[in-house]
Amino acid sequence: MIQLFRVTKYYEGVPAVREVSFSVGKGEFVFVTGASGAGKTTLLKILFCAEHADEGQILIQGMNTFRLGTKSIPYLRRNMGFVFQDYKLLPHKTVFENIALALKVVGAPYGDIERRSYQVLKKVGLEAKRHLTPPKLSGGEQQRVAVARALVNEPLVLLADEPTGNLDPQSGQDIFRLFRDINLKGTTVVVATHDWETVNKMQRRIIRMERGRVTDDGKLPSPPAHTTVRTSARDGER
Amino acid sequence: MKGYGFLYFITEAFHGLRANRLVNLLAVGTISMAMLIVGFFLLVFINLHSAVNALGDRLEISVYLKEGVTAREKDFLRDRLNAEPGVKRVTYLAKADALALFQKQLTGQEKLLEGLGENPLPDSYEAAVDRQAAAPDRLEAMAKKFAAYPGVEDVSYGKEGAQVLSGLYEAVLYGGVALSVLLGVSVVFIISNSVRLALYSRGQEIELMQWIGATRGFIQGPFLIEGMMLAMLGSALSVGVIAALYFALPQELVLILSRAGGLDFLPPSVVACMIIGGGLLGLSGALVSVAQFLE
Repeated sequence: MIQLFRVTKYYEGVPAVREVSFSVGKGEFVFVTGASGAGKTTLLKILFCAEHADEGQILIQGMNTFRLGTKSIPYLRRNMGFVFQDYKLLPHKTVFENIALALKVVGAPYGDIERRSYQVLKKVGLEAKRHLTPPKLSGGEQQRVAVARALVNEPLVLLADEPTGNLDPQSGQDIFRLFRDINLKGTTVVVATHDWETVNKMQRRIIRMERGRVTDDGKLPSPPAHTTVRTSARDGER
Repeated sequence: MKGYGFLYFITEAFHGLRANRLVNLLAVGTISMAMLIVGFFLLVFINLHSAVNALGDRLEISVYLKEGVTAREKDFLRDRLNAEPGVKRVTYLAKADALALFQKQLTGQEKLLEGLGENPLPDSYEAAVDRQAAAPDRLEAMAKKFAAYPGVEDVSYGKEGAQVLSGLYEAVLYGGVALSVLLGVSVVFIISNSVRLALYSRGQEIELMQWIGATRGFIQGPFLIEGMMLAMLGSALSVGVIAALYFALPQELVLILSRAGGLDFLPPSVVACMIIGGGLLGLSGALVSVAQFLE
């Protein structure tokens, strides 16, 4: 589904992501963890073609994103949902309109828009609040709307960048439960987070990053290492 | 764009127009001022064009005869005029008929003829000249030749009038084209700025649309239509103002101008060109801003 080979990205000569290599299979659930500035967000942006890597190769659903023209990027993104830490909802549009926008963008038939938006709102438990605008919802509810918007086009991959960063622990748990359910239905999920409690509870594959490098890639989580960093033997090999 | 298509663009464009009402109103007002100037130039140009054409159709050489000209001299002049290449028709106008014609032309202003006394007009031959053969230098040569014949008092062919009208026509044409280009550029600039403001006010939405897979066409469509509609509205408003002024003109002035060759309003095709042309200028302005913004 996703393959990265020695991907490097520089910002003004400083590497934000360094020789990162890993692959994510279809239907996998992967956490990308690390402290602030570890390169998680940059990595996700590269996967979403919002940033161009300076070195390396990236294959998403068999497509080499280095060879992808600007015009092809929107079509790639339609198969990938993205959830942001700050939700990125349009405050003047209702919950329903926010979700419908994702369908309008892909040219969904008029009749489908209402039906599919309602279905996905039901999935995230917000069908009763579809006529409200985002400022009238709690942070957790807003993030559920953002997840619904990311899911409405039934993407093959869901990317989430610190999706619980602005939420209270309970709302955060709800969002991760939602991700787990989505993953169980076959969607590949990649979540960048430093919420160690949730990561430990979910028992999924974890890719740890430190200063732009992948330092660990394994299934069993380790406690956050503030003082010591275990350098993976696999770092840079793939 | 299956499913939504153009309808989505139109709806979003109207939302955009409503959202930035004040800015858009100012833009429409400014564009209508620019298009008003273009429209006035077109009106003047079109009327001058018809006047020049009408003059061309009425090209005549008048050969005025001396008092006491003999019948033989008259016959000679008529035959020479008929033999002249390009002359379509030769008519003899006796001085009494010339006066009657003059009086008819001055209907309503008979006071001008009071105290005229004896008929001052001479007998004349009026030779209608074919437009193709009526080059100014050829007419001048012909006039000189006939002026030298016996029995001829004077020859006229409306040299000054034709030249003045022709010069004015050219000045309006070139001045109008230059001014239209300048005003066209300013319309592009005005629309470009209005659309830029709309783009900035909806920057968050545009960024989000890019993230959720919107193509460039989908994002820019409503803005292009918005720019086009603004310019078309401005152009239509200017046509409305010109029409209002035209129909509000004092009747006396219209009568005088009508006698001089007519005062026509802009033909429907020109009105359509102004509105569609305005729309295309608006589209260009919007394209400039959208391209800069999305880059």
